[in-house]
Amino acid sequence: MIASIKYMSILCMKEDRDRLVASLQKCGEVMVEDTDESVRNAASSADMLRRMEKLREGIKPFVPKKPLFAEIPQVEEHEFETVSESDLQKASEMERLLADIAIKKAADAADNELIRQLKPWANLNIPLEELGDSEYASFILGTVPLKRLEGFKNAVISGVMGMDIISDDEKTAYILLSVIKNESLAELAEYGFERITLPPLKGNVRDTIADLEVRTEKSNKEMAAVREKLAVLAAEGNTADLLYEQYRADYERETVPAAETNETVLIEGWVPEDRIEIAEKAIRQATEVCDIIYRDPLPGESVPTSLRSGKAVSQFESITNMFSVPSYGGTDPNKVMAPWYWIIFGLMMCDVGYGALMIVFGVLLKKLMKPKGTINQIINVILLSSVTSIIAGVLFGSYFGEVWNPILFSPLKETTKMLIFTMLIGVAHIFTGLIVKIIENIRAGKVFDAVFDQISWMLIIAGFGLIFIPAVKTIGMIIAVIGGIIVLFTAGRAKKNIFGKAVGGLVALYGISGYFSDILSYSRILALGLATGVVGMVMNMLAGMVQGPWWGYMISIVIYVVGHIFNLALGLLSAYVHDCRLQYIEFYSKFYEGNGRLFKAFSLEPKLINIKQQNGGN
Amino acid sequence: MSGTAIAIIGAGLCAALAGCGSAVGVMTAGKANAGVTSEKPDLFGKLLVLQALPGTQGIYGFLIAILILAKITVGMDASQGWSLFGAAMPMAIAGLVSGIAQGKTAAAAIHMTGKQPDASGKGITMTAMVETYAILALLTSILLLTKI
Repeated sequence: MIASIKYMSILCMKEDRDRLVASLQKCGEVMVEDTDESVRNAASSADMLRRMEKLREGIKPFVPKKPLFAEIPQVEEHEFETVSESDLQKASEMERLLADIAIKKAADAADNELIRQLKPWANLNIPLEELGDSEYASFILGTVPLKRLEGFKNAVISGVMGMDIISDDEKTAYILLSVIKNESLAELAEYGFERITLPPLKGNVRDTIADLEVRTEKSNKEMAAVREKLAVLAAEGNTADLLYEQYRADYERETVPAAETNETVLIEGWVPEDRIEIAEKAIRQATEVCDIIYRDPLPGESVPTSLRSGKAVSQFESITNMFSVPSYGGTDPNKVMAPWYWIIFGLMMCDVGYGALMIVFGVLLKKLMKPKGTINQIINVILLSSVTSIIAGVLFGSYFGEVWNPILFSPLKETTKMLIFTMLIGVAHIFTGLIVKIIENIRAGKVFDAVFDQISWMLIIAGFGLIFIPAVKTIGMIIAVIGGIIVLFTAGRAKKNIFGKAVGGLVALYGISGYFSDILSYSRILALGLATGVVGMVMNMLAGMVQGPWWGYMISIVIYVVGHIFNLALGLLSAYVHDCRLQYIEFYSKFYEGNGRLFKAFSLEPKLINIKQQNGGN
Repeated sequence: MSGTAIAIIGAGLCAALAGCGSAVGVMTAGKANAGVTSEKPDLFGKLLVLQALPGTQGIYGFLIAILILAKITVGMDASQGWSLFGAAMPMAIAGLVSGIAQGKTAAAAIHMTGKQPDASGKGITMTAMVETYAILALLTSILLLTKI
């Protein structure tokens, strides 16, 4: 069911704005709308939000890795509402440590670079400050490729200069050149001589390197200490996450769209009629001085859709929403879709063992993760569908892939029978869709449309089906022909001229191929059920092959466990996807349009932490 | 050639070709997934579902190969062997081509999800459309096998 909704305008004094907005956010029942007049304020919390984002990014390497499927940490509501001073202090302490690490890292990098530069010159026996020009001579450092060293040597000798090879590695010789001051080095450059200028340092190179090494070592030790400190801080609690979410909530409060005058603030939005009381109570709690006006949605207005279904059906809402959100004023298809999704999912899994595993893993995931939102709904859908999986498994006798006492028949042995069965499921599913449309049409007073567009097709499909049963073959043919004639003569009724009407009818009749491909599409139920069954059987076979000695049994247990879990995961993925597809393309095409906008309340919605709900919740 | 050998070749081709199709398909989708995940790591879960979709052809091919293996006996005549070979072909060929094609669709859907995370359901549907033909081929192979 789609909840009836009202447009709400709240007018209050400017000084009450913050309290009002906080109260609205806490109650989480109003969808604030961005109107033409409303402005979004610049938020003072934006800076803090960015700071926390940066902090979270920075401490990521220090936070201990969470186990897979870890539970989201919880905080009390009052803890969440106000930023605690100690948390802030801890955050700044972590920021300080991070900055410290960054500075130390930069200094270290510079030192290491210097060491790298100096290393080849370790054997230089004159102090660094004496390099360069003296009164008559210059001491110059440089490199020459080893290959050209001989030529270089000759050039040095013929040029009346002196040279010392300080060190060499595989490719290069490091050379101290002593030349007369202002002597041109152009000739030497031909041998690949490259002058090297070291940073302005003093003293012996060897000592300088030793000093630097001592310094980096010390800094490394300090850094390790700082890292350890940071790791301890980051590991205890989830301060950064909490602060981040607090400031994000704050940011959302500050930037909530509202129209303003000098003295007053106008906040507008949607509220479901059944939640007006809660919303109003929240507003009155925040301020006594305010005016609340309600009105119905105007025609042509884009009204958000708030769905109200029972506990079981509501788990399937996310599946419809993924396709298209029901429009306000349209039908909510979840009530008819959910049972079908449930049944088809079961038929696609079709195994008692896997159904049982679905319960085990579903319950485990819920216990461990305490998931919210869509993920929670999907797990619930799997849990619910475990029932149909087990029932289908018993009917078709499948237990972890092994066939055992089927009540109906075994799909593996009587594939054609199962194929017909799935097609019948398909016809029933499609008929359900058509019936929903018939009801819709009749409610809208379009009885003829229902006869022409839906009942006619139901006659054709039913008639064709009956043709396959010898006893009622003629009746089936007659029914199908009647349906066909209705389509042929009425489908073009919207067209203006007679030619258009005739062509319209013929083209519509061609739609029969569409209906048949739709029905054929349900054969995927058989295919997926068989795939799960046979792969499970293969796993059993593989495990059976290694049995014999005691270690063989050990290995076979591993194969059983890993194989069946793998098959279960694959089967679940396929069943989820293809069940969705059958709903979207084969079922919804018959009656459902959607194109709505989901009601999304202005609320506290932390992702990194959970706020403990006072009133239970799901 | 003996019928047994022909049937074994058929089963082998079925698992191999459909497996190749899935491998290429999952690779194509995986590349797209890696690209989008590098920008938006949060979407990884949604994208992984899309990437896994072209993987089913390989399973179907494997399934048919196993079903054929169950029917192979020593000393089959050539016509029996060719029958099994023929039953393997729909899944082998359609598995190869549809796996690759589905991979490309999955990659496109992954890119779409990267830009509009809410559209992942639509992307899944688009990708599942391609799989229909692999499923039809699987069915054809199974039904042909039941007639042998």
